[in-house]
Amino acid sequence: MSLLRTLRDTLVFAPCYIALDWASYIDPVGPFNITPWNPQHGLAIVWMMLGGLQHVGAVLGTVVLAEAVVRGLPGGAVIAMLTSVTLAGGYAAMASVLRTLLPDRGLRSARHLTLLAGVALAGTALVGTAFVGLLRGANLLGATPVPEALLRFWLGDAVGILVTAPLLLAVADAERRAGLLALARRPETLLQAAVLAATLWLIFYGPGGDPARLFYLLFVPLIWIAARGGMNAAVAATALVQIGVVLGIRREAGAAPPVLELQALVAAFTLTGLYLGMMVDERERAAQRLRQTLRLAAAGETAGAIAHEVNQPLTALANYGQSALMLLERPGLRDPALAEIIGKMLQESRRAAEVVRRLRDFFHSGTTRLEPLPAGELLAAVRRIGRQVLGPESEVLRVRAESGLPDLYVDRTQIEVVIRNLIANAHEAIHQGAPPSAIEVQAQRQDDGHLRLVFADSGPGLSAEMRERVFEPFVSGKASGLGLGLAISRAIAEAHGGSLSARAAAHGEFHLVLPCSQNP
Amino acid sequence: MQPESLTVYIVDDDASVRDSLALMLGLAGQRTAFFADAEAFLAAWRADWAGCVIADLRLPGASGIELQAEMRRRGSPLPFIIITAHGDVPAARAAFRADAVDFLEKPFDHEQLRAAIGNAFSKENLRLRRAADAGRLGLLTAREREVLAAAARGLHAKEIARELGISARTVEVHKTRIMAKLGARNVAELVRFALAAEPPPPAK
Repeated sequence: MSLLRTLRDTLVFAPCYIALDWASYIDPVGPFNITPWNPQHGLAIVWMMLGGLQHVGAVLGTVVLAEAVVRGLPGGAVIAMLTSVTLAGGYAAMASVLRTLLPDRGLRSARHLTLLAGVALAGTALVGTAFVGLLRGANLLGATPVPEALLRFWLGDAVGILVTAPLLLAVADAERRAGLLALARRPETLLQAAVLAATLWLIFYGPGGDPARLFYLLFVPLIWIAARGGMNAAVAATALVQIGVVLGIRREAGAAPPVLELQALVAAFTLTGLYLGMMVDERERAAQRLRQTLRLAAAGETAGAIAHEVNQPLTALANYGQSALMLLERPGLRDPALAEIIGKMLQESRRAAEVVRRLRDFFHSGTTRLEPLPAGELLAAVRRIGRQVLGPESEVLRVRAESGLPDLYVDRTQIEVVIRNLIANAHEAIHQGAPPSAIEVQAQRQDDGHLRLVFADSGPGLSAEMRERVFEPFVSGKASGLGLGLAISRAIAEAHGGSLSARAAAHGEFHLVLPCSQNP
Repeated sequence: MQPESLTVYIVDDDASVRDSLALMLGLAGQRTAFFADAEAFLAAWRADWAGCVIADLRLPGASGIELQAEMRRRGSPLPFIIITAHGDVPAARAAFRADAVDFLEKPFDHEQLRAAIGNAFSKENLRLRRAADAGRLGLLTAREREVLAAAARGLHAKEIARELGISARTVEVHKTRIMAKLGARNVAELVRFALAAEPPPPAK
């Protein structure tokens, strides 16, 4: 099965790699793969980053094949083999480092971007030293001085990775892919692409003569594009400009364009665009979070006001009912049937009061009071709440925990609200999923002083798109309900210094992370 | 003192809550008086009022807790029951710090309310009895007070006579007078008065 998948992936990867290698084999140092732009290496790194390091064999085979197809093994089979091993090994190492540094395999913050850029720059410098050293050792560099060859290799590979990897990671990431597609449907995007193309044309065919002189003009549309479309648009724009520059260089091959300088400019352009896009995204996310918080606060205020207003008539209602019962106890006025009805009315008014009380408790306007809570008590609370919520179906709930879990440091009441909410959601979800129904709560210790509670259910799960949407206030997947439960639960988890997140999967899965007591 | 002379003073801005409380408590045999806000209550208040106050936490103008503080400032020890439709923990804490008898969340159970009023009234009765005792003690002469204090220590007539340097017969006469003045039927009741005289007499 996994072998079959590797084979299938290889059949996609290898032609793409060779095509990119061929397309970008311009202005080389001698007959070797030292060119100003090497996007195929970005492809190899992303494949191993996403698919796993076991692909290193397939990558090595592809590199050798490309060497033979594109360049015809200029240094002989031995040199081709040695350089290919250097490349494949070096890029596998970089992929491995990136797998550790970017555990969710996506670029979500400026820090991620910095890590990627750092790994690309440092990794290509090391690989380049080995690669150029090999050629120098075999005396194959000809007249080219080692520093120049090294600089070209380094710049070409680093830019190749920086331009290609974000684009490929975006395409592989369901959320970003959706964002890119949405972007492609906007008329503004077409205009932006046209402006970029026109600017590129001006740079290469305009009055300046030297393309590097007018390159700065590209930064203007870049600002526009990144400011409007964020990281997704920046990724697309940098890729477009890189392709444009390569095409321009190919056309102008006769006039000996300043390839190295242009590539350095593309590198600066790419980094600027990506950071700008990331900043725009982060600002947008912060604004969104603020909006959510404000909506939540408004909902809390509303609930408090409603509770107050409804409690007054409920109080009067209960008092009048009680008065009626007292009157009915007087001699001559005794009427057991009427007394029973009034008793039922009183009971209903108490029920209404209970609903209002729960609504108010849900928002828990009071401050969070943290205290140590043994993990065993938390799990007991999960079981107790499970019994209350699931009723006769409580046998579907399984609670699993490793032994020796540390004490938590939480507000017990608030955390019970979160647990109740998650179990109630799971309960509704299992009725929409295929049997057999199951809800599993698993407690795991984390290394960073937190405890992770995984709530998994046999329900239909969430799509990548709904994964974040469900935490927005007033967004509900249910026919009834305000759509506040998860929003409030996440707010509570974050107020504790923990988190609440959903996994996009074919079954429901929520992860609640809570802080542990400082003194275990 | 009979409980009938104790009144439940209701301070709530919600007319229905006020009316229903008055009806329910009235049917339960309680004397009630009600006010829409703290200012109306203070304007009507007289120092000889006895019973308890049920005040809403949130009122137009001064809050229930502020009203309680104002009453303490004026020297009234009337017990307070704070009620609120906005049950929040800090408010409850503030109410108890301000020495409220109870803090009830609306809508409350009528049993809860009855228990709270019962508490408040027993506190009030104790205060009234102390005050009355102190008032009667004021009727005694200096010599009678000495005899009472000695009797409270468990001394017999002869021992008291020796201690005060008077005849046993005179002691008996004093005792009879004291019992008449205080309305005590036996020595045990006398001792209770004597003990009540020990702590500083509460405000009249």
